Amino acid sequence: MSKNVLIIVFTEMRDKLRKWREDNHRNSEQIVDVGEELINEHASKLGDDIWIIYEQVMIAALDCSRDDLAWTCLQELKRQFPGSQRVKRLAGMRLEALEKYEDASKQYDSILQDDPTNTAARKRKISILKAQGKSAEAIRELNEYLEQFVGDQEAWHELSELYINEHDYGKAAFCLEELMMTNPHNHLYCEQYAEVKYTQGGLENLELSRKYFAQALKLNNRNMRALFGLYMSASHIAASPKVNATVKKANVKYATWATNQINRAYQVSYARCLL
Amino acid sequence: MSIKLTTQAYCKMLLHAAKYPHCAVNGLLVAEKQKEKKKDSHSTPILCVDCIPLFHGTLALAPMLEVALTLIDTWCKENKYVIAGYYQANERTKDFRPNQFAEKVGARIAENFSEAAMIMVDSTRFTMGCYEPILAIYDHHENKWKCRDCNADCFEDWCEAQKITSALLEGRSYESLIDFDNHLDDLRNDWTNPEINKSVLHLC
Repeated sequence: MSKNVLIIVFTEMRDKLRKWREDNHRNSEQIVDVGEELINEHASKLGDDIWIIYEQVMIAALDCSRDDLAWTCLQELKRQFPGSQRVKRLAGMRLEALEKYEDASKQYDSILQDDPTNTAARKRKISILKAQGKSAEAIRELNEYLEQFVGDQEAWHELSELYINEHDYGKAAFCLEELMMTNPHNHLYCEQYAEVKYTQGGLENLELSRKYFAQALKLNNRNMRALFGLYMSASHIAASPKVNATVKKANVKYATWATNQINRAYQVSYARCLL
Repeated sequence: MSIKLTTQAYCKMLLHAAKYPHCAVNGLLVAEKQKEKKKDSHSTPILCVDCIPLFHGTLALAPMLEVALTLIDTWCKENKYVIAGYYQANERTKDFRPNQFAEKVGARIAENFSEAAMIMVDSTRFTMGCYEPILAIYDHHENKWKCRDCNADCFEDWCEAQKITSALLEGRSYESLIDFDNHLDDLRNDWTNPEINKSVLHLC
């Protein structure tokens, strides 16, 4: 292969890894495939990028039970950044992947002794609780964490998921409300909130869910979940014996509108398929 | 009263679990609609011919599940199928007992199909070689779910299922598996997975 082709291949691989990093994609097998080759064949060309790539590949390797690769990456990082808290956390994650939860916990505790505000270590400790199936404790710890770090969106989202898995939809809704307040233009939070309200059930929650499905659609008119959700909630409201004729009529209108939009969306997608 | 699985059904279930190893996944199983209901048809097992992967990640929300059940029900009627079962693989590998959500969905399916089965995937025994069936099958008896032993008898052809599932896992076919979540992200994604069905047929 000519040198130019090799260079193109190398830059493509490096750019792919960057994109996956930026999108926070958990396609670990692909990251290991591309990353391992990049590290083994093209390390010299990567410059300072190599360190963040080692970190990315290490985490992906843990996901794929490739402890050999994870260990190699960890050693390189330890050598380059001795005493780094960030590398210590990676070592902790490796222990978690090996299910050595007590050792991992000790690792994170040592980070927190030096730096009590280290959010990454605290969140890893909560992940250990989750991995061990201790949902109630994980929820408690996460709530405590959020009292201190009230702006941590990732944590609010994680908490909402933990509550959903425990069928505590009211509290899940509260978490999503926090997220919607700080991210009013995020259609995904709106739509998830609507789904939680719908699941909670009852006429009031259904009407709220319909409103938020509609809001999600306003923010992103291609959100199919919001469109389907609008149809479902409006249909259920219209079918409810508790609503008066005006409300029923309005909701039938919303449901019909949603049906037409859904049909159009499918037609457009079939047309695109044929291209 | 027992169900059996075809290779295609078993394959797609495992591919779905393999595609999202860090998530809970769930889906439906469909069987061919029986033309006549004989009085002593209890001895003939129901054959689940296909599997529709539904969601990955947060499973316990109602609206999209209802949408999926409605759309798939329509598709079933067009193809003379009936929704005959529900499968779920939990997020934590070691957790393979059915939870409240699985039981609820299973019960809902049992309302329309009395011999419905609930299947839990045991990820601790999930290997590339697929040397043993890794399912726990639950039947609905008097409002309770009872676990039945899953062995080669639960399959139309276990040898074929084992061989083909293993081959597709090695070939990373799960990367192209489409579940209902993928369909909602992009309507062009086909949750009937025609390409994977072709691959299964090809290897038979």
